[in-house]
Amino acid sequence: MSQVNLPVQQQAPVQQPPIPSTTTVGGPTAPIDYRRDQAVGFYTDTTVCIGCKACEVACKEWNQLPATRGGEASLSGDSYDNTVALSGTDWRHVKFIEQFNPDRVGGRWLMMSDVCKHCVQAGCLEACPTGAIIRTEFDTVVIQADVCNGCRYCISACPFDVIGINEVTNTAQKCTLCYDRLQVGMTPACAQACPTASIQFGPITSLRERADARVAQLQATGAQAYVYGKEDMLGGLNSFYLLVDKPSVYGLPENPQLPSKQAGLGWLAGMGSAVVGGLLGALSFRKHRMDERRPVVAESLPRDRREVETRDEVRR
Amino acid sequence: MNPALIERANAVHWEWMVYLEMWIAGIAAGAYATAALLEWFGQGRSPIARAAHLLTMPLMALAALLLIVDLSRPERFFHMIVQVKTWLPSFKPWSPMSIGSWLVLAFPVFAFVSFVDALIDRGMFRLGSWRRERTLHGSSLGRIWATLGGLLALGVGTYSGVLLSASEFPGWADSSLIGALFVVTALATGMAALLVISGLGRAVAPPDLRDLARAATFMVVWQMVLLVMFVISLGPSGARVYLTGPYLLALIGAAILAGIAPIALLRFGATRLRPATAALGGITMLLGGFLLRYAIVMGPQAHG
Ligand code: SF4
Repeated sequence: MSQVNLPVQQQAPVQQPPIPSTTTVGGPTAPIDYRRDQAVGFYTDTTVCIGCKACEVACKEWNQLPATRGGEASLSGDSYDNTVALSGTDWRHVKFIEQFNPDRVGGRWLMMSDVCKHCVQAGCLEACPTGAIIRTEFDTVVIQADVCNGCRYCISACPFDVIGINEVTNTAQKCTLCYDRLQVGMTPACAQACPTASIQFGPITSLRERADARVAQLQATGAQAYVYGKEDMLGGLNSFYLLVDKPSVYGLPENPQLPSKQAGLGWLAGMGSAVVGGLLGALSFRKHRMDERRPVVAESLPRDRREVETRDEVRR
Repeated sequence: MNPALIERANAVHWEWMVYLEMWIAGIAAGAYATAALLEWFGQGRSPIARAAHLLTMPLMALAALLLIVDLSRPERFFHMIVQVKTWLPSFKPWSPMSIGSWLVLAFPVFAFVSFVDALIDRGMFRLGSWRRERTLHGSSLGRIWATLGGLLALGVGTYSGVLLSASEFPGWADSSLIGALFVVTALATGMAALLVISGLGRAVAPPDLRDLARAATFMVVWQMVLLVMFVISLGPSGARVYLTGPYLLALIGAAILAGIAPIALLRFGATRLRPATAALGGITMLLGGFLLRYAIVMGPQAHG
């Protein structure tokens, strides 16, 4: 029987507009000066991230965070990502998002160095009962390891799943935006190490201008670029992103909210429920009070107690 | 998926100690609130109220101990109450965890005094003019005390649920009704514990037991209504975290043990209610309440 050679069906490659680099065409990426009383943060241009993880390494080195979990290096099997998520010991996490056709002929990589967003309205700071989480003079959000008692409520209150327990200190930990470096006028370690200027550090106002210019530049080439974390999101994220796909593609919430938004409603519903419960209880016991003086036959009482006449006497 | 939420990778590790604590604190709070209600109807020294006074304090002590041990740094438990850098009180009314810490501190003060009052009422000792003939409960001051303590008890019953709703975990953040459900579970399990004590003991008169059984059945019905409302309020994406595996089984178990079974057994305090049946109804309510806490605390954490 002769073998029929069918042509291989190839899917058309995903067409993506070329992304201009920030260094050749884009705006300036040079370090920007900052002052102590200024709001500072990160602007991360995900289009120029090359997934080198220099930021992760620099962060771990500077902050003396363990590089392996429990002394064991583990492979996740998920693209080039073995960090998997931000945690108490991983304060930077480079995400690798593979958008390929099933036959992997066409497609693109999306890479994004994730970090604490240092939200202007920070859920973690709001939730922390001990005052361990503070807002610094740089408008950044820092967890004081010597105050935190590890109740772990901040872990559940961060809309971006940033905080975890650091097994070394047994306290909740996350990026401090290199608070110690800021105090002596240095650039945070990750931004310093980033070779492509994907992570830029500086005063928020200057960073936003840069981001807007870059978005305009990309949109002019037909790319779907936008800034994630403008002022309408939790008062503005002091660590914001330039993205080229939907937030959910990067594992970010589309519309993050403060956890306290639910608290008000929760208390109200709780009070309402308690009132209904109290009224139902009162109804049950009130009937008793009205019956109080009436004679009763206590059928299920032991024989020797049956002669008692009122409930009061029964009780006594 | 709720657009405000994402799947979680970092666990809060609120596990057996937490749902056990919520269950125990709920029983204590519910029992004390029931005693407060009885106080309003002139029964502040009745055997049921006294059983509640004796039960609340030890249970709250156990609950507080569980909360402390569950911290990652238990030796720093007092940071919940004092700002260690300034030694000023640490109180954040917008944080349910902060409110809860203060409630767990304040409520046992009331519970302790009522506990001592119950012991004095039994003639175990006297403290000056605080003696068997002049106890706090049963007096007009006792009514004020019971009311304040009862309100704090309801706060203790509610806060843990509000705390879960005020989070970013799918399944908790999807509904604002967890506090409402938890407070009625607290009332139901508190009454259930009193039913068990009253049903097994011989001190409570049948009419009083029937009243308690009637109140408990009302709580059961209200609890089931709220459970259904809670599941509906979750929406499909929020409900998905509970309606699988052991959590679905726990919810079904809760509906049977804390819903159908006590209604059938207690029958709104029917005339021929036997003490043993009342105790059995109380036991099923307690078990069902435990399953409910387990499902609600653990379901969302398993879906990180
Ligand atoms: S991203 Fe999370 S941890 Fe960072 S400031 Fe916002 S709420 Fe806090």
